[in-house]
Parts: sequence; structure tokens; C-alpha cells
Amino acid sequence: MATQLETRMTPVKAISFALVGLWLLIAAFPFLWTFWGSFKVQADFFSKADWTNALWGTNTTEETGGAFTGAGYHGAWITEEFWQNVINSGIVVFFTVIISLTFGTLGGYALARSGFRYAFWLLMAALVFRAMPHITLVSGYLLPFFEWNIWGHLPTTIIVLVAINQPFTLWMLHSFFLNIPKDMDESAMVDGCTRFQAFRHVIVPVMWPGVITTGLFSFLLAYNDFAVTAMLLSEENETIIPAINSFLGTTQVEGKVMYAVAAVVSATAPLFVLILFFQRQIVSGMTAGAVKG
Amino acid sequence: MAEIQLRNIGKRWGSFVGVDNFDLTIADKEFLVLLGPSGCGKTTTMRMIAGLEDATEGDILVDGQRVNDMEPKDRDVAMVFQSYALYPNLNVYENIRFPLRVRGVDPSTHDEKVRRASAMVELDDFLHRKPAELSGGQRQRVALARAIVRQPNVFLMDEPLSNLDAKLRVSTRAQIKNLSHELAVTTIYVTHDQIEAMTLADRVVIMKRGVVQQVGTPVDIYDRPANAFVASFIGNPAMNLVEGEISGGTFRAKHVEISGLNVPDGTITLGFRAEDANVAESGGQINAPIYTMELLGDATMVSVRIGGALVSVKADKNYRAEIDETVSISVAPEQCHLFDATTGARVGS
Repeated sequence: MATQLETRMTPVKAISFALVGLWLLIAAFPFLWTFWGSFKVQADFFSKADWTNALWGTNTTEETGGAFTGAGYHGAWITEEFWQNVINSGIVVFFTVIISLTFGTLGGYALARSGFRYAFWLLMAALVFRAMPHITLVSGYLLPFFEWNIWGHLPTTIIVLVAINQPFTLWMLHSFFLNIPKDMDESAMVDGCTRFQAFRHVIVPVMWPGVITTGLFSFLLAYNDFAVTAMLLSEENETIIPAINSFLGTTQVEGKVMYAVAAVVSATAPLFVLILFFQRQIVSGMTAGAVKG
Repeated sequence: MAEIQLRNIGKRWGSFVGVDNFDLTIADKEFLVLLGPSGCGKTTTMRMIAGLEDATEGDILVDGQRVNDMEPKDRDVAMVFQSYALYPNLNVYENIRFPLRVRGVDPSTHDEKVRRASAMVELDDFLHRKPAELSGGQRQRVALARAIVRQPNVFLMDEPLSNLDAKLRVSTRAQIKNLSHELAVTTIYVTHDQIEAMTLADRVVIMKRGVVQQVGTPVDIYDRPANAFVASFIGNPAMNLVEGEISGGTFRAKHVEISGLNVPDGTITLGFRAEDANVAESGGQINAPIYTMELLGDATMVSVRIGGALVSVKADKNYRAEIDETVSISVAPEQCHLFDATTGARVGS
């Protein structure tokens, strides 16, 4: 029950609310601005004369007859076939997540349960690879990829993204497994399971929040990656992010920049849905182990 | 039916000895308690029998068959863990059923078996609940039910009561005793609580730093401890131990003089239990100032200090005295246990 004390507006509370509100506005502004602007023409959104044109759509009204236009979206999705990039992204993200999670769960479990010292050193090595800039992996791979004639294809990119992502999934899942008491596997083994059955029937069902959280971070890495995809993919195989980059790369030509803005909005929307959908798992995953239940 | 033979088994981690040369035959249907302070190797011994730890030396035989290289699942043992290790994603019914399911027991018999096991531990009303919705005692009973549901050859229990509060511990202890009588299965029970050991065991094995100190019935161990460590570990309060000299059959230490002891002269540790001594009017074998008095309800515990050791005596519940008052304590020589001062081994009969 809210008491009078709780509902009363004290100065401290008012200031806190104001600060949070201000922060929210600043944080959300770029997104809202881009979203709003994506329905304008370039002359408005990138107006040098008057920035308020982007708000009211002066030129948009002049050019198209309405304050809002879907021209950017039409250009990106239909003319430039952005849907092809979306499919490419889908393939890259799907396989990167699936492969990373498969190796990550098996490897993380093995490392968490292993009593040997090398488990520690493997994790240390993984940490070193995790710390390396992504681009260093690409520069090393580039020449062999050309020589083997596998440059530009999606599977090549998937392999490199898995290599970049694997240390992280190993670490994350390893610490999730450490939070599951060893007694649980042992109990299952005494009850009649093999080691693998214990893993599958007892440990994995308990691990779901961890797997989902790790999978989500892997998803974001693969989805948002630019360094690897821009270097390793040929134009027809580009994923979303390098595609947006190439739209932006043509600022001299009227029109294409608005394709980029529309594509950015298209690329961000699914992320919002995803985060909203999985936010419970993410939070429980991130705080797992903080308190023992 | 299961007789377990442990033939000189040992466990080493590098140079660290976890269990050293453990040699024992556990009879069919026996209730054996492994007792000792933490780190004494009792749990390691049990885990070697379960197959969760490999013995680095010796053989483990179940009904004459060597099981050292068998997987835990093939040894037909059931184990209750200290942490209960219930499966949090399954409800009570499915937890109890789990061993039947993974072992491929005929599914048509599952329901009856689960219900019988849950009835034995009085869990019938909680079958649909998840472990997180149960109290500690209820979780403990789920673990018990899961162990008994498939009628294994051997029960292993690893400190099953140590996470329960004192009152629940007593009632669950009684329940385990009753269950083991009803099921008549060979049981190995690990604990550091000497009262659990005394009340439950057919035989007790007392261990210290990986080495077996004494094997015997609870009465044996209480009445004839094999060494000073066992004497000080068993009983509440622990046995009084006093260092002193023997000459001509008389034990002497500061405040103490007990004659009529039939052992050779030399330095010795003398022990007696609190309930074997009495507070006398005067002329007792121990005369010392009272260090502390504790009212226990059914008795009064009078303690004096001799050397560095605290010596306690159970006096009548109406006995009252002041601290620092001199008290006279009588101890019959035949109630005294004598231990070698250096090795701690029992001396004389």
C-alpha cells in the first residue's frame, strides 16, 4: 500500500524524476530523430539551410505532396534489394549463434567440470583472443581466403565470426555452469545417467537462461558486426551493416542516403522486439549467480 | 543383497593422501556410519564406493564382484547428497521418478513405485510441487524418496541431516532409522555428528586424516575407545583427558591422585566420562576449584581446570556451588581409560 509518505513529492524525488526524464530524452533522441527523419526526403533530413525542415518536412511536401514519404524504404527494400542483405544477415546470424552455442555449451561444461589445470589456461587463452580487436583476425585470414578462393562467401564469414565469438561464449557459459552445483550431475549419474545424459537431462534444462542470454549476445555480435563482414563479403553477399555503409558511401548522389536511414530503422526495429521479448531471460541471465537461490 | 568389501582402498591427489589403506567388509543389510571431523576422508570413501571418485589403490567389491572400473550408474547404488541435489526443473513426482525413467524401468510400474516411495517419506501431498516450493525438510525427504524408489543394492547418505535445523534433524533421524529397518538394505552413512552415528549405526568407523581410527559398534566405541582421538570425539561432553604421571599404579597430576591403576610407570593420558564421575563431600580423587557450572536441566555440569584441560563432571540436578569453591570429585579407577601420552593409543584393558 502506498502511504502518504511514499506518494508525497519531495524535492529530491522531483529532481530525480527530472534527471531520469532528461536522460531518457537524450538517450532516445538519436533513435527518434532517425525514425522521424526516415520518412522525409534528403533535402529535409540533411538540410543545410534550416534544420527544422527535418521536423516539418518542407521539402518533402514540395517534392511528394505529403509531409511523410516512404520513398527511402521503397528505395532501400525494392530498388536496392535490401531484403537480400536481410536474408544474408539472417543466415550469418543464425549459423553463428547455433555453432557458437553448441561449442560453447559443450566446451563450457567440460571446462567447468574439469579438475585439470589446463582448463584454467584454456580459459586464459580464450580471454586473450577475446581481447584482440576483431580486425586482427580478418587481416590474418584475408590472404589465405583469397588463395583458397573462399573469399566473399557467407560460410567463410560465419567461421570467422564464430572464431571471434567463441571465447566469449565459452567464458560466459563456463561461469553459468560453475553456478550449477556439481552434486546435480553426480546425483544424475548415480541415478542412472551417463555423463552425457546427465548433461542433457539435468544440466541443460537448468541452463536455459544462460544459453538464451549467451545466444542473444552472440546474436548481437554477429548482427552488428562491421569489421569482419565489410572485409570478407563480396557485394552480392553483403549483410545489413555493410549494406547500410555502402548506401551512406554515396552522399554525392541524391537519394541513396535516405535509403541508409530507412535501412537503419529497419535494422533496429527487430532488435527492440527481441530485447523486449527476452528481457526477463537477459536480466535473470545477467544476475544469475549473484544470489544463491 | 549386497556385501561390500573394501580391500585396502586409498585415494591420493599427488602427494596428498585423502584416504589411506581403508580395509573393511560391510555385511549385507548393515548400517555403517563413517564418522570423523571434516577433511578426514569419510566422504571420499563414500564417493569411491559410488564411483564418483576413482580409488587410486585397492579394490572395491560388491557381492564379490570388482566394481572399481564401473560407471556410477552400473553399480546399483543410490545416494542422498548433503545439498539434496534435486532437479529444480522437475516437480516432486518427476524427481522421484527420474531414476526409473533413465534406467528404462517398465513405465507401467512407475506410478505405483513413485507413490509407494513418496508415501514412505510422507510426501503424498506435495507431488506436484517444484523443489523451490518446499522446505528444507521436505526437500530432504524428496531426496530420500528418490533414493529408495528403485530399491537399490546399497544406500549412500552424505551428511543428509546437516542442512536441517536441530528439531527437524531429530525427527528425520528417527525416520531414517525406521526406513532402514523397513527396507533392510546395506547403508553407508557419512556424518561428523557423533550423536547421529551413535543412534543410527550398527557399526561405526571413525576416521581422522584419511586413516581409520576404530571400527566397532556404538557401544564398543563409547565404552572402549581405541585411542585418545576417538575418546575425545565420541560423547557429549567429550571424554575428560588429563595428562599425568603413573608410578606404582597411582596416577598423579596437579589436583589429581587416582590409585588402583594396573599399568607400568610413565607419562600417560587418563580419561573418564563426565557421567562416570561424581561430586563427593570430600576425599575424592580430584580436588580443585570450580571453573564453571552449567545447569542442563536433568543434571548440573561442574567443570574444573587441570593443567590446560577442562574436566567436567555430571552432578545431581540440585547440586549448587560457587565458582572458585573447591570441589571434590570421585572417579573409580575401573572407569578410567588410559592412553599413551605420545601415540594416544589405548594402554591396558
